[in-house]
Order: sequence, then structure tokens, then C-alpha cells
Amino acid sequence: MNASETIQQRARHQRLDADRLLTAACVGLPLLGLILFFAYPMIIVFLRSITVGDSYGIGNYVEVLGSSGFWRATRHSLVMGGATTLVSVFLGFIIAHGLYRCAFRGKWLIRAIIVLPLLAPSLVQALGLIFLLGRNGVISRALGVEIEIYGFWGLLIANTLYALPQAVMIIGAALVLLDARTYEAADVMGASPWRQFRDLTLPSARFGILNAGFVCFIITITDFGNAAVIGGDYSVLATEIYSQVVGQRNFNMGAVVGIMLLLPTVIAYAIERQAMKRQQAGQTTGQVPYRPVFAPPRDLCMAALSLLICACIVAVIGIVVYASFVTLWPYNMSLSIKHYDITLAGGYSSLWMTILISLGAAVGGTIAVFLLGLGLRRLPHVLAQPVQILAAMPAAVPGMVLGLAYILTFNSTSTPLYLLYGTAALIGIVNFYHYHTQGFLTVMTGFRQLPPALEEAAGSLGAGLGRTACDIVAPFIAPMLVSVFFFLFMRSMVTLSAVVFLTTPQLSVAAVTIMRLDDAGLTSQAAAFSTCVMAVVCGAVLSMKVILAMMQRRRAE
Amino acid sequence: MYLNVRDATKIYGTFTALDRVSIGIDKGEFVCLLGPSGCGKTTLLRLIAGLAELDGGEITLEDANLSQMPARKRGFGIVFQSYSLFPNMTVAENIGYGLKIRGVARTDIAARVAELLDLVKLPQVADKMPGQLSGGQQQRIALARAIAVDPRVLLLDEPLSALDAKVRAELRDEIRQVQRALGIPTLMVTHDQEEALALADKIICMNHGTVVQAGTPEDLYHRPATRFVAEFMGISNLLPPEDIAQLFPDLLPSRRESERAQLACLRPEQIDIASVADGAATIRSISFLGNLRRLQVDTTVGMLTVETHGANPCRVGDRVALTVAPDACTWVIDDTEPRKAVPA
Repeated sequence: MNASETIQQRARHQRLDADRLLTAACVGLPLLGLILFFAYPMIIVFLRSITVGDSYGIGNYVEVLGSSGFWRATRHSLVMGGATTLVSVFLGFIIAHGLYRCAFRGKWLIRAIIVLPLLAPSLVQALGLIFLLGRNGVISRALGVEIEIYGFWGLLIANTLYALPQAVMIIGAALVLLDARTYEAADVMGASPWRQFRDLTLPSARFGILNAGFVCFIITITDFGNAAVIGGDYSVLATEIYSQVVGQRNFNMGAVVGIMLLLPTVIAYAIERQAMKRQQAGQTTGQVPYRPVFAPPRDLCMAALSLLICACIVAVIGIVVYASFVTLWPYNMSLSIKHYDITLAGGYSSLWMTILISLGAAVGGTIAVFLLGLGLRRLPHVLAQPVQILAAMPAAVPGMVLGLAYILTFNSTSTPLYLLYGTAALIGIVNFYHYHTQGFLTVMTGFRQLPPALEEAAGSLGAGLGRTACDIVAPFIAPMLVSVFFFLFMRSMVTLSAVVFLTTPQLSVAAVTIMRLDDAGLTSQAAAFSTCVMAVVCGAVLSMKVILAMMQRRRAE
Repeated sequence: MYLNVRDATKIYGTFTALDRVSIGIDKGEFVCLLGPSGCGKTTLLRLIAGLAELDGGEITLEDANLSQMPARKRGFGIVFQSYSLFPNMTVAENIGYGLKIRGVARTDIAARVAELLDLVKLPQVADKMPGQLSGGQQQRIALARAIAVDPRVLLLDEPLSALDAKVRAELRDEIRQVQRALGIPTLMVTHDQEEALALADKIICMNHGTVVQAGTPEDLYHRPATRFVAEFMGISNLLPPEDIAQLFPDLLPSRRESERAQLACLRPEQIDIASVADGAATIRSISFLGNLRRLQVDTTVGMLTVETHGANPCRVGDRVALTVAPDACTWVIDDTEPRKAVPA
């Protein structure tokens, strides 16, 4: 048999092998989704930004760049992003340092409180601040001063509270990496605690701090909820897109502003990924976790600071829950449940719809990233690499831009995709692709921990790809899949930016309803609706904790 | 031969991991692939298992070509160095997994699992999870899982390397017993020459992606073909003909001039040592190893290693005379000359 015959035979064989077909499907279907629901809409939004009349040109950009409103919004976005980043990274470092490098009791409380802002739509921080510091706020009335909470300062506080959990988690993850033995060595060499902090803790956390900074910056400049509720006249790019599209029906200009917003986020995201790689490169195996010993001046101080920050979070979110039960804020402070009778069109239907959509996004999304991870393991590196890059790209795209891209793509009758427009399915899809990167990276982390020998052992025992996936791979990375499922569910429950363009009078989601209630002056009802959403999400978090704990116990048994 | 590998070639980028390697395994035979890390032995095992694809050559089992057959259809059993039990399944589920895939009835699986647990001497652990077992126990279960499906060939990829010395010796004997009892043709990869000597019917010694020598353990130990094999299969004194002429001229006739063999291989236990007041050699150091002593002896041509059994009055600094039986040495090819540096 000569060489070409061998190659032909191999090619024929590869076509027929069921496992190869399955691998192709595993990668192909999620990839098709990424192209159709991420890459294609992003191309459309770019094309629309350069569409002038019936032809292409840079006219829109010239117009936008020439408008003072755009430059003001850009300046505001950058200043707000920078200020929020500084404050939340500083506070985040204090809390992370307290949690991982100090010894005091009650850390579980801080851990629990610090994630609260993630469990609510971003506009809840803004609502809470209005109830605390607004014209009729508890604090303003108690002090008898009028505080102008709408605008820069209110937005800064709201954004900081929203970005803080991310900062704590990222910096904490970096601090955990430093080995106890390093500190023991420093002790033996005679380094003082302050020197250890300066020479060991800070340098080891520097990539974490950098990383947290970029993440906070991205979160802030892309957030829409807080800016819409408490921003007042302080226009930022996210609200500018909204007013262009919803206020002035000027889609092309909205697309231009969207592309301009995309620039800083893509740059920040690219740098963040690099910083992440550097941090991971410094990781070593066989670590001895650091166990801090009680040092009164340091620990009491850190505990007090952490608790103070946590108290602010609790106050802002708690006041929303409290206000939702107050009969007539601030005149009749007796408690009632009348605000839970939502009077705006649709009532609670949007809450049920959001739960349904979130479940759909979570189930579909978890399956999609699992299949993608499964297939990518079996692809040669040259093919897997570009798919991985594409899968990690959605994180760089602000929700507003993705939502705008969707309305431009799916509200056009030129393709059959139009059938999806105005359906709950499309909202589920946009939520999944909005948070695709985080889900994908989580699953890939799980796959990296899976020893190839397990799959090879199953293969040599006669199991095909389908069987191996169900019997070996899925059980192994089940904790990751559970995490991804609940992550997608929770984000879908609370996200506003991507879906704000896709809701219709007949089809709304919870975060949009809260915004509409607040717009309509029904602030207490907005608070009541927020409380319901938070209750659902808290329930989801608790279920996730229980399920993960059960899995861990089963495995340990 | 039952399993035949002909001209197997595997190339990773610019690195040739296997260069036209041919080996064979007979029915019931225990074959060890022996060599240093990076010699291609694991690559060869993975090719045979179907876990990697051949870039050239072919693999046949009873004359049926396996080259294009995926691992799951070959019906081989494999045991990895890292145990690789499925962590989400009990011991019994692990062992029965291959049978379950083949659609064997539940009661038959249970019976077979019990039988195999007895065979690997762990009858009590059926319902435990792999994480609750020690390394040695896990590897026994991995062995049971591999042989549960009556594999046509059993492949062992450094199965003992992750275990401590005592467990390793125990399991080594058990692997041999089980293999003998079941008569499964077995191919084991190892870098440990002692393991290979103790287990194998045939050792295939590999280096740089090629087979250097194949033969019985006795062949490889006593009649190494090359310097690499001689050094890999234990301690040896390798001396060029000039040195032999000086120390043991009686050995020279055993070298045939036509051969490329340039070095005489003398195992340490083949050299006899006697204290002589005017001996030409001096003992420089003695290591006491329990059943034997290893001596470093300074001669006119340099250090030689000598081993003696039993009581021996020699002490460091003693003058000694060395003698060797005329047929004791093997002439080997010097294949470990420094390779030419490859320009980057």
C-alpha cells in the first residue's frame, strides 16, 4: 500500500468514526452559537456605526466626536471609572487582607455580607442610597441637611459598593497564593510584621491588585443600572447609548457610542488577562496555607474597618428591604405589605418570566460550555486556540453594546433570525453570551484538573466519547458545572444592561421592571420588587452552597 | 508473534519520539519496555493502546491491522502510573465499568467483581470510594479493572513508580502471579531495571526512540550488546582493550577483531579480589550494603567497582590482586559517545 492510499484510508476512516463526529458536534454547536449570537451581532453593530444613509462612511463618528455631549459623557465615564476603581480596590484590599492575612472571629459574616451587592440588580445600590441620603432619606432627615445625592458622589458610592465584591475576591485569591512557609522564613530571618507586609504581602498581591483594578474599571464604565437611577445629570457613556437609542431612536449614533465604549473595556480586559496569566505563572504546588496568629493592634484595626465597610453595604441594601415594607415613606413609617401589590402593568409576571429565562440561560449555557470544553480537549491545539480566544471575548463587551448589537441584528427582517426578536428565548440567549466568558473559563478550570488518564482508562475499557462524558467527565467536573449553572442563573436574574433594549411592553424582565417602577415614581414598589428578586437570588445562592457541600461530602466519604 | 509492531514511527513537531521501532509479544508473554525517560517507551505503549496515532508503520494483533482502530475497540486493558480510578465510582463500579459497557448482566458483573477482588487480595473494599484506599490498594483495583474484561493484551504504564519501596515489591510479585495465572500477554513500561529483570520474560531496552537490544533478562544483564545497555542494566566496569591488555590479558582472545565492540563489560561480582601484600591495586572505599559489599578499587587504569558476598576481611587501604574468569567478560559497542551538538 503506498502512502497516498494510506492517507485516503485514514481520511475515510476518520469520517466514519462516531467519536470524531461527536467531537465535531461538541465544538461545532457552541461555536455556531458564538458566531451567530456574539460575533455576528458585534459585526452588525460595527457596520451600523459606519452606516451613513445607504452607504458606509465615518460621518457618524465625525458627528459624535464633534458633539460636546459625547465628550462630557466620556470624561464622566473615565473619571467615574478611575475614582471607583481607586476607592473599591483600596477598600477591597482592606477587607481581603483582613480575611486572609489577619486573625479575628466572625469572618463568615464579612464573607456573607460582601457578596450581597452581587445578588441584587445593580440599581439596588442606587435605590438604597436614595432611601438613606436622598431628599427624604433617613440620614438626611435625621441630620436635617439636604444632600445632593444624585450625580457624581451618589454614583461613586453606588458603583463602589457594586464593584467591591469583585475587588475582594480577586485580591483575596492573590493573597491566598502566598505560602505560610514564606512568612515563617521571614520570621526566622528577623523581619518585622510591617516589613513582611511591605516585602512579601504587597508584592505577591500586586497582580491581584492590578487585576482587580481593571475589573472594577470595566464594571463601572459598563454599568447602566446605577447610572440610570442615581446618575442624575452626570451622564456617562452607558446612559448616553440608552438616550441615543431609546430616547432619540438614533441607532447608528448609539452604535458609534457603543464602539467608543468598547475601546477602553477591550484594552482593560486585554491587560487584565495578561496580569492573570502572570499571577497564575507564579503559582506553585504543595502549598502550606497561611494561618495568621492574633496580633491585637493589626487585627482589631482591620476587623473594625472591615465591619464598618460591611455595615455600609448592609445599610444600603437593608434599607431597600425595609423601605419596601414602609406604608408611606417617609411620612407614615408603620409597616405594611401594600407595596408588594405591584400596580404597574404586568405586576409580577416579569419576575416569573425572569426566573424562567434565567433557568433557560443557566441550563442551556451550562450544557453549551460543557460541550465546548469537552470537544476542545480533543481538538489539536491549532484548532482549539482560536475557538478559545473567541469564547473568552464576550467578557470584553459591555452589556449595553451587546444588547444594542442584538436589537440591530434581530430586529431586522432581512434574516430568519428575526423570528427570535421579542421572544424570551432571545433574552435568555443574550444573558448567556453576556456572561459566556466567566462560565467558559470556570468549566475550563475544571477540565484542566481532570487527569487525561481517566478518560484514556475509560476509552481502553471500551467507552466512547458519549459514555465517557456522562460517566467520567461530567461527574468529575460536576462542582464546576453547578457553579456555572448558578452563576448564569443569578446573573440572568439581576442583569439590566444587556436586556434593557430587548424587552417589549409584553415581555419584560425583573431589572427592567424595577427601573420602570422607579421611573414612574413608585420607589417603594421598586424596592418591593427588588426585595423579591434578591430573595430568589439568595435562595439560589443557598441552594448552590448546599449542593456543593453535599457533593464535597459525598466525595470525601 | 501474537502482537506485532512493525516500523512504528511517531513524530512530535521536529522531535522523533519513535523511529521505526519493531517489537513483538507472544501469547502469555510478559514483556518489559525498559529505558530512561524520554526514550519513547511510553509513546510506544500509547500507540499500542490506541491513545496516540501512528505516523508510520503498523500494529497487528493475530494478523489483524489495529492501526486505525480506536482505543475503545481494541479490547486491551491498561493500568497507569497515576492509578486513575474513576473518583465518582465505588471500587466495585470501577472494576465492573468495562463489563457494564459491554452490556453484561448486573448479577454476572457482581460475581466477576467479587472474583477479581479476591484475585488482587482486597475482598473487603468493594463499596469503598477510591479516595479511601492507599496507593497500593488503588493500583490493585486498577489492575483488577483492567483485567475484568479479559483483555487481549494488558498494558502497564509504570504501574509501580508512584508506590513506596515495600509496597512496590509486593505488588510486583502479585502482578507477576496474576499474569502467569491468567496468561494474558502483557507489556509493561518501566525505567527500573530491577523491576524489569524480576518480572519480564523478555526485556526490550530502548534509547532515543529506538530499540537497542531485546532479549531475556539474563541476556541483557550478562550479554549486553552496547555500552548503554550494560550501564542501564546495573553497575558495570567498562574497559577499552588497552586497559584489558594491562589488567586481564587473558580476556583479550574473547574479542573478535571484526566486531565493532570496543569495550569489555565486567560486572562487579565477576571480579575476584584477594588481599596480597604486593598487589597492584588498592581499596579506596567500601560500602556495606547488607548482603554484599561494594568496593572501589584503584588500579593502574583507574577505579573499578567490585562486589563481594559474605565475610570479607578487606579494609580500606589494603593492597589487593584482581582476577577474572576468562569467559566472564562481554564485549560491547560504545553507543553513548557524546552526541554532536545540534546547531540551534
